[in-house]
Amino acid sequence: MGRHVIGAAADLPPGKNKIVTVEGRSVGVFNVNGSYYALKNACPHQGAPLCMGRVTGMTLPSEPGQYLYGRDGEILRCPWHGWEFDITNGKSIFDPHKCLVKTYKVAVEEESIEEESPSVETYEVKVEDAKIVVYI
Amino acid sequence: MEQQVQSETKKTRGGRTYGIIDCDVHPSPRNTDEIRFYMSQPWKDRYHGSTRGFFGNPVHGARLDATPPGGGPTGSDPDFLREQLIDKYGHAYAILLPRAFCNLQPDPDFGTAIAAAFNDWLADTWLGKYNHDGVFKGSITVNHQDPQAAAREIERWAGHPHFVQVMTDSGARAPFGQRQYYPIYEACERHGLPFAIHPGTDGMGINVQPSPGYPTHYIEWHTCLSLGFQAHLVSFLTEGVFERFPNFKIVLTEGGVAWLPGLMWRLNAEYKALRYEVPWMKRRPSDYLRDHVRISSQPLERPDDDRELLQMLDMMDAKHILMFASDYPHWDFDSPTQTFPRLPEEMHRRIFYENARELYNL
Repeated sequence: MGRHVIGAAADLPPGKNKIVTVEGRSVGVFNVNGSYYALKNACPHQGAPLCMGRVTGMTLPSEPGQYLYGRDGEILRCPWHGWEFDITNGKSIFDPHKCLVKTYKVAVEEESIEEESPSVETYEVKVEDAKIVVYI
Repeated sequence: MEQQVQSETKKTRGGRTYGIIDCDVHPSPRNTDEIRFYMSQPWKDRYHGSTRGFFGNPVHGARLDATPPGGGPTGSDPDFLREQLIDKYGHAYAILLPRAFCNLQPDPDFGTAIAAAFNDWLADTWLGKYNHDGVFKGSITVNHQDPQAAAREIERWAGHPHFVQVMTDSGARAPFGQRQYYPIYEACERHGLPFAIHPGTDGMGINVQPSPGYPTHYIEWHTCLSLGFQAHLVSFLTEGVFERFPNFKIVLTEGGVAWLPGLMWRLNAEYKALRYEVPWMKRRPSDYLRDHVRISSQPLERPDDDRELLQMLDMMDAKHILMFASDYPHWDFDSPTQTFPRLPEEMHRRIFYENARELYNL
């Protein structure tokens, strides 16, 4: 499993995402309400650049004539045909068992301070020092 | 001719020696003024762009990644369209169908003026200065609400090297087999131009909706666009249009595909007794298709089991009448590499290239 630091956590606040290339693969990294997720940037339908799609909410299953809008910020919509995917697990909304996009493990990790500034004796960890790491 | 040879020998994916002919690509003016430039008064001041008004896609109407890097509407930047479609998939030709939506206008003169301006614009831009290699082939937009004027518009462009068909919306006030439209078909036949029908103004403006009343949702309206195509096709056949105009051909663009076998079975069955009512119909209804009807593939229906699709393609004689279309840059774009399951090589060649090459004399 390859470990890839893709940037500072502070640069990807909640609601934001970025597309990176790791090991030759295009991957979208998303911050959903403070949790990070990574999805393959290719729609399982026709291969569109899925992660260029809009992050949105969805109309939740409801009774006929009733509208319940929810999960704002947790749904990714393919930029071509508009299929909805749950960012938190890669599963499509219309058929979560058969239609899903590959997900990758993401972690937020502190960089080793010794490497960066060997002369410092103690170091207080700040949020902005944390890096987002994708494992492929 | 040089251009043609170059396009035909282009190597594409899979080692094929032919490029794709894409039968439904939508170029767009950068803004309304690009069209207005070609209008005379009083239309120039009256024209503020036409859209189809309602039943907008609630998600998005065009591929989000098709917006040109420099901004502007999707399909408005020829360099970006070439990059994202022509070069990416190895297109030999793209058949361009601009969306003028002229047929919903109550004033036939206004509708005709809009159609004419779109034709002037297309000829100058996509078929002119953007077309150094001849990859773009165009459609003459006509306002079918005024068939005489539509015929004159066809005459105005006949012989142009890059206009290869006449096009109109499937939205109409009457089925297309009826006699009021014949001036259009006469002009098409005279100049060897197929007549392409594309969805867009169904139930809009002065056009009737081809379902019982107005559906509530876009998903219904969009799914049922094929109903209008079926009604138009049955009308063409039973009214004897192909008997009256023996060299006239139609192209059903973006109207769906998989309904064709069932409709033909039904019509063939009816014909056994009801031929009596339409005695000019000398052949079995389905026997007219190969000579007179072509269908473009997008949006191709995809059953769960690919074998069922392949059976359907055989049932509808896809090898001879189906032509690939992507509908770029619209939201329901069909990728040339992903839309079909693996096809027998000869069927692939005919659907992606040969059927359109023959129809359009490319």
